[in-house]
Amino acid sequence: MPTHWLLAIILVLAAAGYAAARARALATAGGSMRRMHSLPRAYGMTALIWTAVPALLILGAWILIQPVVLEARVAGSIPEAAASSEGQRSLIMADVRRIATGLQLAVQGGGLGWDEALALTADGGSLRTRLADLGIAVGEEPGPAALDAAQVWVQIERVGHLAMTGVVLAATAAGFALSLIRARADVNARASVERGILVLLMGTALVAILTTVGIVMSMVFETVDFFSRYSWTEFFFSTDWNPRFQGGSDLGMLPLLWGTLYISLIALIVAVPIGLFAAIYLSEYAGPKVRAVAKPLIEVLAGIPTIVYGLFALITVGPFMRDVFAQPMGLGNSSASVMTAGLVMGIMLIPFVSSLSDDIITAVPQALRDASYGLGSTQSETVRQVVLPAALPGIVGAILLAASRAIGETMIVVLGAGAAARMSVNPFEAMTTVTVKIVSQLTGDTDFNSPETLVAFALGLTLFVITLALNVLALYIVRRYREQYE
Amino acid sequence: MKDSRLEDRDTTMNDTKISARGVQVHYADNHAIKDVDVEIQDKTVTAFIGPSGCGKTTFLRCINRMNDTIDICRVNGTIEIDGEDIYDKRIDPVQLRRKVGMVFQKPNPFPKSIYDNVAYGPKIHGLARNKAELDEIVENALRRGAIWDEVKDRLDAPGTGLSGGQQQRICIARAVATEPEILLMDEPCSALDPIASGQVEELIDELRANYSVVIVTHSMQQAARVSQKTAFFHLGNLVEYGDTDEIFTNPRDKRTESYITGRIG
Amino acid sequence: MSDASAPRSTGASGSLMVLDARTKKRHAAERRFRYYGMGAVGLGVLLLVMLLVSILSNGLGAFRQTVFELEITLTQAQITEAEEALLKTSVYRGIIEENMREALDAAGVGDEVETARAMELLGGDAGSTLRQWAVSQRVTPVPQPDEGVTRTFDFLADGRIDGYFKGRVTMETAELDSRVSPEELQLADTLREAGVLRIELNPGFLTMPDASENQPEAAGLGVAIVGSLYMMLIVLCLALPIGVCASIYLEEFAPKNWFTDLIEVNISNLAAVPSIVYGILGLAIFINFMGLPLSAPIVGGLVLTLMTLPTIIISTRAALKSVPPSIRSAALGVGASNMQTVFHHVLPLAAPGILTGTIIGLAQALGETAPLLLIGMVAFVQDYPDAPPEGLFDPASALPVQVYNWTQRADPAFFERASGAIIVLLVFLAIMNVTAVLLRRRFERRW
Repeated sequence: MPTHWLLAIILVLAAAGYAAARARALATAGGSMRRMHSLPRAYGMTALIWTAVPALLILGAWILIQPVVLEARVAGSIPEAAASSEGQRSLIMADVRRIATGLQLAVQGGGLGWDEALALTADGGSLRTRLADLGIAVGEEPGPAALDAAQVWVQIERVGHLAMTGVVLAATAAGFALSLIRARADVNARASVERGILVLLMGTALVAILTTVGIVMSMVFETVDFFSRYSWTEFFFSTDWNPRFQGGSDLGMLPLLWGTLYISLIALIVAVPIGLFAAIYLSEYAGPKVRAVAKPLIEVLAGIPTIVYGLFALITVGPFMRDVFAQPMGLGNSSASVMTAGLVMGIMLIPFVSSLSDDIITAVPQALRDASYGLGSTQSETVRQVVLPAALPGIVGAILLAASRAIGETMIVVLGAGAAARMSVNPFEAMTTVTVKIVSQLTGDTDFNSPETLVAFALGLTLFVITLALNVLALYIVRRYREQYE
Repeated sequence: MKDSRLEDRDTTMNDTKISARGVQVHYADNHAIKDVDVEIQDKTVTAFIGPSGCGKTTFLRCINRMNDTIDICRVNGTIEIDGEDIYDKRIDPVQLRRKVGMVFQKPNPFPKSIYDNVAYGPKIHGLARNKAELDEIVENALRRGAIWDEVKDRLDAPGTGLSGGQQQRICIARAVATEPEILLMDEPCSALDPIASGQVEELIDELRANYSVVIVTHSMQQAARVSQKTAFFHLGNLVEYGDTDEIFTNPRDKRTESYITGRIG
Repeated sequence: MSDASAPRSTGASGSLMVLDARTKKRHAAERRFRYYGMGAVGLGVLLLVMLLVSILSNGLGAFRQTVFELEITLTQAQITEAEEALLKTSVYRGIIEENMREALDAAGVGDEVETARAMELLGGDAGSTLRQWAVSQRVTPVPQPDEGVTRTFDFLADGRIDGYFKGRVTMETAELDSRVSPEELQLADTLREAGVLRIELNPGFLTMPDASENQPEAAGLGVAIVGSLYMMLIVLCLALPIGVCASIYLEEFAPKNWFTDLIEVNISNLAAVPSIVYGILGLAIFINFMGLPLSAPIVGGLVLTLMTLPTIIISTRAALKSVPPSIRSAALGVGASNMQTVFHHVLPLAAPGILTGTIIGLAQALGETAPLLLIGMVAFVQDYPDAPPEGLFDPASALPVQVYNWTQRADPAFFERASGAIIVLLVFLAIMNVTAVLLRRRFERRW
């Protein structure tokens, strides 16, 4: 039975449960709502929840877990003799998957019976053509090991699916029956519905935790895999980045880290003064009219997607920097450069710095400003010597958040910084960053068994850890700062 | 006690230091001060009393143009200090506020060291040529603020770490460090406990020797203890102005009498 | 004490009307400081203007395209012959060439060389454009007499010719270019004067799918817009309910304990995780682990949902928080349960705020590029995905990724298209943000 049919049955039964439970509860109260503990629809809802939710949960869990079990069992069934190395094993598994899918399609299409599919043998090298006749494309003549494993696969999947259908239907039926028995007028149906909804709400809140777990898991496993193939000291401390497809790559992250930090530094040098002065002007000096116009305009910069900045760097800023600065000064001929990416990223960060600083400056109590004015200081003296020192922790926090943004930014550096891993101090040279290399190692055809691909996960994890540390530190500082003036 | 203090006072007439004529203040549509005329004398403590919201703080803030920092506030009329109209276009509020120091209701030390708090004013106004002079100014100010002995060993400690009374005396020391001629105090004791209030009141009495002190207060007892002149404000009007003992013993206006006897307030 | 209490008289007793030198200097510093501030604000606005001007000036051209007007006459015999050939579009191209000769004769520039040259001015898809129409006109069996059908076509001109009229290609660059020659450009000038070549509005830019490297003139945003739309649909259907439910739990029901704190810290950190990390998550979990297809809107939608959730949760919580406790007390006072209070009273009052936050979250998701690169949205997709729900699993592109794709092509004509795509993207974003602002204005409530 296809899964969507199963889904339909569950939903229909749940709807039936709603109507039946509601009617039954009303009947036990002799048709009078006043004698019922809860509203009639609460009884219906209880039945609906009990019929649908457990069954759907089982269904979801099954669909998620079955492929993992399947993979492990099938991989285990391949004899040692056929797969001597890890690489060979994964090649065979790829074939197995293709053959298994093909067999299933052939059976569904009616070209093949189940028994025939399970009885296919790899005799005489004709299997490839046989499979091709059935519409299954296989690269090379599959070995007997692959075919056997594929048949195991098909078999397990078939049994598993049957079992799933049975279990899910049983759960639905049980929920339906139980909730119908419980649908009596004296039961507190509202409380049980509300408990159910509360659990649901709690479940949605868990998505946040699951996402974090997912992020960490998705990178940790592949990173461990990467370090089993490539020395971690080389990765962290080598200054050579030179991936080769034929193996023997140098995968030191220092040049990438250098590019990342260099670009972020330039971005902050651009964004912090402009953003801070803009925030000071808008919060301390500007009249309401100027503020009403200028503030949203600067915030528009924050709403522009980073790909737009990337394109700006690529077609406008890059060529401009090259023609006006780099070439006349003999510093290089590349339009993609640290300076280009840094400047454009700085523009992107201006609204970020200014709106955070604005919040922080406004949080400085008026009493301190009054004290300063009362002593006869000018507005700028008040800002520089009283407001800014008082707001300093908050501003440091904001700058850290901006730095974390800069380090994690991708599109601007992909389009503006270049792809050459290089450790140089000349800002008009093309350099590359951690994020650029994650993109370049993971787009296109990727083979998840080579260190050249897996290194992207190690880079991702490093990036995640750095930005996480910056964010946590920044949030801590900002929170401490706010508490000080509350 | 009240009477004995009053007898000690030097009540000889001094020169007029501040003279206000026809002062009107509006906050947007709210008419906060209505046509106030008052002459405040040098080397005297003048108390502004009245029920809350009567405009006494607003009027005080007019004297050093602190109301300039509030966008919606408009001031009309003239206030002269030493014969110069401080609302004249040529007057620079920055210079004015150096001459007219202010102490606020809530102690508001900067989040800096005690030393830097007091040295801030002299620094921005350039009163010291070198570190030694600045040290001297800070020490003198702290002595005049009657807090030198309590803090002399920890001048580098943050000013925000002191007790409320100490903070307020730091703020007074900070205000006198710029060598003002007039000192405005906006309910300086309202955030303090009675012992700290007593210390500050004693201090105010000492400051009278050198400054014209204007103090806004809620407490009639305090006004009676520290001031020689008292002005009673009610609903934005200056109802009565005169010698403190006159006002408290023999008020001319019915409203003053009601306030003093506790019927309104 | 007497020494301490004597005021030092330095300058302060002078007239207030006269500025002393020091005060003058301080005021000068004040003015400088103010100018720095104005400068910073001005610079910010100026940079915004430069950014927009750069994108507009580069991209507006993409909405206009050079077309080649040509009357084509086809006989049924020709159609049948072409449809039976192996390389159908090249046969149709031959048919166009015959018609081209007549057209050039009519314009008075006809000879063999010129015809061949004029064919070079046509875009690569002229043959298939003609075929699409021809197939719809086909009558079988071939009737006798075979009268043939006639129609005037606006074929897209070659990208280089289009570039010549837009100023991107000049005689000098054509000299060095293997795909266009100065003679072709001269012919193009002649034909433009004859009215055969025209620059027209180009609706195809919004409706056509992407095209290959050497056909910039035919590249459009159709598939990308559909893909983005599908992903927004998924984000809306998943992120809004999940986000609202999670916010209700955290704001209204969650007990104050370490676990709730953990969730809160998690959410504020997720909001600041670099977007590319979400791409890695999508690749590892949705594609490698769960086996969902590459380049599919469903995967993009899921990744963007996870990215948008923190934004929606934060703004929803703010909206819930702004509903005053008096409303809750009133509902609880008439005997409503906590759950009823929240769903009947608090949630409806918070709805405008939630909606505004959701739109802003969607706008963010619409412009996001980096995570989509990792889940294969960069693939070259020329077929429209089917209608949802099956279509959600078909390969598609997305607006910002299409921009990235075009920047990676060698032909500078694609830069114009990339900028044009950005304009489309920005228009969508502007519409969403303006809607959010209007909603806020319309329903904003002051308690």
